[in-house]
Amino acid sequence: MSKFKTKLLGNLAVAGMLVGGIGFGALAAMLTSKPELPPDARPDPAIFQVAASNTPGFPEIKSGDYNLVDHRGNRRTSKSPEGTFQLLFFGYSNCKAICSVALPNLAEAVDILEGMNAPVTPVLITVDHERDTVAALNDAVGDIHPKLVGLTGTPANLDAAYKAFNLEKKFLFEHVDEGAVYSHGSFIYLLGPDGAFKTLFAPVISPVRIAEISAGYIAAAGS
Amino acid sequence: MFSTHLKSLLGAAALAVASTSQTAIASTAGNVIEIKGEIIDTWCYFSGVMGDTDATRGSAHHTCALWCAAGGIPVGVRTDDGDVYMVLKFKGEDALEQTDTIMEVQSDFITARGVHYKRDGLNYIVVEDVVANDGITYLSHEDYDSVPPFSAPKKPKK
Repeated sequence: MSKFKTKLLGNLAVAGMLVGGIGFGALAAMLTSKPELPPDARPDPAIFQVAASNTPGFPEIKSGDYNLVDHRGNRRTSKSPEGTFQLLFFGYSNCKAICSVALPNLAEAVDILEGMNAPVTPVLITVDHERDTVAALNDAVGDIHPKLVGLTGTPANLDAAYKAFNLEKKFLFEHVDEGAVYSHGSFIYLLGPDGAFKTLFAPVISPVRIAEISAGYIAAAGS
Repeated sequence: MFSTHLKSLLGAAALAVASTSQTAIASTAGNVIEIKGEIIDTWCYFSGVMGDTDATRGSAHHTCALWCAAGGIPVGVRTDDGDVYMVLKFKGEDALEQTDTIMEVQSDFITARGVHYKRDGLNYIVVEDVVANDGITYLSHEDYDSVPPFSAPKKPKK
């Protein structure tokens, strides 16, 4: 068994033991502090696999159809210019509800995957284009994760993105301190480098589990 | 500290979801099943932020569950043996699109017919039909009052 595989197995075992008590911050740190990993290391398909029990015919979403602008002002479609898998979430930078938990979880999953030498690009598509301008997103995304790509665009282009993922979003009310409050779908989507839908995660899924499942799809793509 | 605690609970929740027992799965596509269970707010149920999972079901948690569903939290159908089927689609909606339809059945005990999919260890269902709806049958407010307490309107002063 390779050193890489042994270490990952050990880490996952520790992850299982940690559940319910210590939290995943320490685990994420442990997983991301592996300087001895070879540069070509990837999730081992012998360890990380797409669940064999997956039912064929899962109602896949239509994907690959968005054409937006990132927080640096660059055009970006669902095809990853980094050539990496992507974890996509719809939300807004002022969200104090589900985004405030889902986005840190997503960021932590990205760090865990980074520690496996499985870089994944986290992507946030705003549901609040009025406040989430390019400049506002540029200010906000770094606080969530240094690699987070914030996407905004014209209402028409954003609507196309929402439709591509059957994303329901709705203005709820104007909060006296926080401004506009929106409801919006809260699934996290795993997309391939080409933007193709791979799977989704309900927001209750832990960062470790998101990373573990994502690693299976990444390993499968590389095998 | 809250964040750390919450993440621990979320981890446990994820494992709980992943370990739910399964019915037979068709080899070629999703299979039609009929399940009986309560529509639940999956966030509060699995995250543990409200404590006992029984407190996050039924009448005690109904108001909060409505808010969570309105906010986009996926709902699930929890059967009496504890299995949870994440609802991918409710009749009349597009897949993954959660509209006001769900608000009318949140916390209700229903008999649902739909297509079952297994994905990454979790159960998902596309609900094609609600065969029966018994309404809110778990009167958890008798044990838990309102969960969380601020979710219910304040009682009028006497």
